[in-house]
Amino acid sequence: MTAAVLEVENLRMEFRAPRNAGGRRVQAVRDVSLEVQEGEILGLVGETGSGKTTVGKCVVRLLRPTAGSIRFMGEDITAMPSSQLRPLRSRIQMVFQDPYSSLDPRMTVSQIVAEPLRAHGTHSRREAAGLVRRTVERVGLSQQVLDRYPNELSGGQRQRVGLARALVLEPRLLIADEPVSALDVSVRAGILNLLVDLQRTMGFSCLFITHDLSVAEFLCDRVAVMYLGEIVEVGTRDEVFGAARHPYTRSLLGAAPLADPVEQRSRQRAILPGEPPSAIDPPPGCSLNPRCPLADRRCTEEAPGPTQVSEGGHVVRCHRVQEQLDLEVARS
Amino acid sequence: MAELLSVQDLQVRLFDRLGVVVAVRDVSLSVEEGEVVALVGESGCGKSVTALALLRLLPPDAQISGRVTFQGRDLLQLPLKELRAIRGRDIAMVFQEPMTSLNPSFTIGNQIGEVLRLHKGLRGQQARERASELLSLVRIGSPEQRLRAYPHQLSGGMRQRAMIAMALACDPKLLILDEPTTALDVTTQAQILDIVRDLRQRLGMSILLITHDLGVVADLADRVAVMYAGSKVEDAEVHRLFAAPRHPYTAGLLRALPRRGRRAGDAQERLLEIPGLVPVLRDLPDACAFAPRCPRSQDDCSNQHPGLAPCEADHRVACLHPEPIVAGAHP
Amino acid sequence: MTIATLPGAEPTIALTQPSRQGWWRRFRRRPPAVIGLAGVVIVVLVALLAPLLAHYSPTVSQFGQVLRAPLSPGHILGTDELGRDELSRLIYGSQSTLEVGVLATLLAMVVAIPIGIASGYYRGPIDMVAMRITDVVLAFPFLLIAVGLAAIFGPSLQNIIVALGVAQLPGSIRIARAEAMALREQDFVQAAIVTGVRDRVILFRHLFPNMLSPLLVQASVSIPAAILGSALLSYLGLGVQPPTPSWGNMLASAQTYLYNDPWIAIFPGIAIFLTTLSFNLLGDGLRDLFDPSMR
Repeated sequence: MTAAVLEVENLRMEFRAPRNAGGRRVQAVRDVSLEVQEGEILGLVGETGSGKTTVGKCVVRLLRPTAGSIRFMGEDITAMPSSQLRPLRSRIQMVFQDPYSSLDPRMTVSQIVAEPLRAHGTHSRREAAGLVRRTVERVGLSQQVLDRYPNELSGGQRQRVGLARALVLEPRLLIADEPVSALDVSVRAGILNLLVDLQRTMGFSCLFITHDLSVAEFLCDRVAVMYLGEIVEVGTRDEVFGAARHPYTRSLLGAAPLADPVEQRSRQRAILPGEPPSAIDPPPGCSLNPRCPLADRRCTEEAPGPTQVSEGGHVVRCHRVQEQLDLEVARS
Repeated sequence: MAELLSVQDLQVRLFDRLGVVVAVRDVSLSVEEGEVVALVGESGCGKSVTALALLRLLPPDAQISGRVTFQGRDLLQLPLKELRAIRGRDIAMVFQEPMTSLNPSFTIGNQIGEVLRLHKGLRGQQARERASELLSLVRIGSPEQRLRAYPHQLSGGMRQRAMIAMALACDPKLLILDEPTTALDVTTQAQILDIVRDLRQRLGMSILLITHDLGVVADLADRVAVMYAGSKVEDAEVHRLFAAPRHPYTAGLLRALPRRGRRAGDAQERLLEIPGLVPVLRDLPDACAFAPRCPRSQDDCSNQHPGLAPCEADHRVACLHPEPIVAGAHP
Repeated sequence: MTIATLPGAEPTIALTQPSRQGWWRRFRRRPPAVIGLAGVVIVVLVALLAPLLAHYSPTVSQFGQVLRAPLSPGHILGTDELGRDELSRLIYGSQSTLEVGVLATLLAMVVAIPIGIASGYYRGPIDMVAMRITDVVLAFPFLLIAVGLAAIFGPSLQNIIVALGVAQLPGSIRIARAEAMALREQDFVQAAIVTGVRDRVILFRHLFPNMLSPLLVQASVSIPAAILGSALLSYLGLGVQPPTPSWGNMLASAQTYLYNDPWIAIFPGIAIFLTTLSFNLLGDGLRDLFDPSMR
């Protein structure tokens, strides 16, 4: 087994709720453990409010987690003081969702891409200029853009600039937070292809946060599905998309419309009723129990622990799946 | 089936700081009774402007020309007073962002009641009953209670349902859905699509669906019109369009889409990229607007604007060199 | 399923806008802004060239020429109650008026920007302290500050500048703070943090330049507000001391003659009005100009 670049254990992140909610705490991330292996793309999939972005922000330490630990290449960065963290930052980079707010409107493309180099002072001015040029080329932009301002670029071009900034220091880990969600289909394809190519040539590991299942399936080696601050299912791409066990994952897969009228109209849809409950007051027991068709009494009382579905690391948190598996084992 | 809405040569010119934008260029469209027509395209293709133009909801300085015939009357020529009577009663519209389309300082019940009073003259108890009936129609639980809620007390999905309920208040003949599920999560989206599908069957209204999401189109539409750079480039029955698109842009879109079962690891799978950028909708030359990005373009593409022409039964395409017909791909 | 990339899908992508327009060309498209700029330039020129423009001394009285009506020979705008040429007094009055407006605003900005940035970016205790201070300042009417300063140090130009500057502090701090808070949440600032850019650099390179346009707009409102404030203080006798003319003290001394000889009040009034209007128009134009989304 290859080494883990990122290990997150029992991560918990709470925010103070808005004043009108009576000073209670929003439990954005309740208990998340995950690993990103060397050279792997791990998809973190979930709907709005599932806490997936918060996990990403904790990993890059834009947020300081309430509890749990984050280890990057073996080093615990959970509460590392910023002076100590700074050199490590060059190895963990992030790409953002919004191609418009993620670039400083008053800086040219070359200044933007050079910023990480300047921050870490690792290169001479000339080396830096060359590196910036090469990186910009690498993300599929022409040299002409170097002196442009972001507002002169299209959304897809801006997102490429964002990628160039993240990759100019050749990081080991890239956190990509919905990097293609704001883009049109034809532009999105280019960015996804580029990500695949860059990941293969540069070999970085990637935590890819998305709500789009088809994007996750296209890109990711392994996928973790989040619901209400917890990972409910994790496994390889084949396991999650081909043999999902958790009722929530199954519902998600059934809910995403397929761009094919024949398939879309003929398939079985078993979509969860209702909407996710508030993260201020998550339900006791399994967080899905109020919406789950399989839920029984145990689900309302006791939070399910991780259940190993396959040797490869397909893990599900669901009492009913566990019972099924136990039954299968007993039968054989 | 009878034609309910017919749009002929709709052209919309908008004005901004830099001058004129030809947002919609000679678009013709027809919606028959009970039919769901999807208007598809990427951002800036003019699909939403088209929808707004139908009801004359664009800024007053917009220049709209062409004809929009609804039940025998030209909506573009109608006095505003008569148009207002049609808006909301015969043609209702649901927008993308349910938060901004609802007035934050009135309850849902107030806002539905307003529509009922305006168009149907219902008041008091009658209006309340009808309103709660409408909420049940869009599967909002305990409707009486929800009627007393303010928009901010509802989730995005609930607000969108309330919007649909409000749109249904007067049994419209045509429902225009402008990106109705774009702001929503997949589960909520699936719930809303379910409701729309069900409503359509029960109420038999026509729907004009504006969306960029080909999955939503595949789910709901009977017929699809694809727009690019303000023009309609292709128009076909939904199965035919997905199985055998003729316009290179449509074909490109379908191949650019990451779909279930497509995996980057498998056999060097790549998504198709459409190179270049969407043209700026100013001073468009008399040429195919897609030609600079088109893999099939030839010399003649850049000196004439291809009109929409039938290529097969119920299938029209605006392209001089359309994609070849895929044998056996028709349903 | 194998799909090839379309031929011609080369990585080089065309640019949306081939050329950037010059500032002046963009600015010129907004007539109100141009009018505002012209007004400001005129006032500044008048102030600078006062000795050349004025035919009479603003302070020397001609007792034979008291309260001449406008358009009388030699005095286009007439004379005041001491026989001083109204036009010359207006011209010289622009000096102190502008000085107060600009310096008070500058003082407020120089103090407010660092406080606002620090409090908006770091939040926490720094923010608490800064906000309480602004609350306290806000709770004092600026007139009281001015009167207090005048009482302690005597009425002088410097003191009204300080008083007006302090009066503007809370507004400027709040704007700088609000901008800093909004910018801090912008992805590009978050990106800089993630990249490991030092706070100092983030504040100077990302926050400050992106705050300029709202601050400029604030300044364009502050300068005329300070001009009005100084007029008020002069009117109350706390500002520029006679015989040195300021538009405010001209108004003050005119009030006795308002009924019979209204022009000596009307002209400084118009001067104040046009100057503040010009600054406001210019500010609006600059805001558009500096807004990157309008570039």
